[in-house]
Amino acid sequence: MAIKSKRYPEARLEASTNLELYWWVFMRISGVVLVFLLIGHMWMNAVMTDLNSINYDYVAKRLSQTTWKIYDWLILALALLHGGNGLRYVLDDWIRHPAKRFWTKVVLYGLIAFLFFLGSLSLFNHDFGVK
Amino acid sequence: MYRGREGQWAFYLHRISGLGILVFLMLHVANIASAMWGPEVSNALMKFYHQPVFQVGLLFLIAGVLYHGFNGLRIILMDFTAWGVRYQRQLWYAVWVLFVLFYLPFLVKIGGGILGGSHGD
Repeated sequence: MAIKSKRYPEARLEASTNLELYWWVFMRISGVVLVFLLIGHMWMNAVMTDLNSINYDYVAKRLSQTTWKIYDWLILALALLHGGNGLRYVLDDWIRHPAKRFWTKVVLYGLIAFLFFLGSLSLFNHDFGVK
Repeated sequence: MYRGREGQWAFYLHRISGLGILVFLMLHVANIASAMWGPEVSNALMKFYHQPVFQVGLLFLIAGVLYHGFNGLRIILMDFTAWGVRYQRQLWYAVWVLFVLFYLPFLVKIGGGILGGSHGD
């Protein structure tokens, strides 16, 4: 919804409230989806498979299938957003000093964005060499 | 609800498990992405993570994911139902029942592997 406030401080207040609400809703929706995706993910790779047999070939074979590319990418995207926002709650609670809090966020969000990029590349832009 | 009772433990465990999962997720993505640098790099890293100490870590991680997930469902019930908050304590015990049910297969499979001395080669 468009911001109606005329003054910047009020607009910011309003926007931040809506955004907080969106994040709040997102945490619940992504949470439910992740419960199912992750139990499936862990079951397939740790119960149905011997963990110790997992190597490059295993990953290559798995990721040669579009289903698992999309499945894994969904986990990647939802988990990083869910985890990143959860981390924001924790940092807001635990780091009182505003400047320290700001820079901690810059570094950690940067790391999360980088991992999203890295993970997406390995899922969609890497040829594992499986026919 | 929060003062030293189940609700407070539920909250602390939710937070700690959440942070733990995020740390693992970062290592895990980096580990899988290492495949882009070829089988040698990737296999060396995976062999490193097959050490028993990391498998014990994995058991903690899976415990964390299951608890965080089931307690998250409890939070959702508390948020969206009229009765959720009233029964939050009972719901927390239900979380643990689900936790044990789902955790046992992982514990047997991975724990058995560690005790059986299987760690790659």
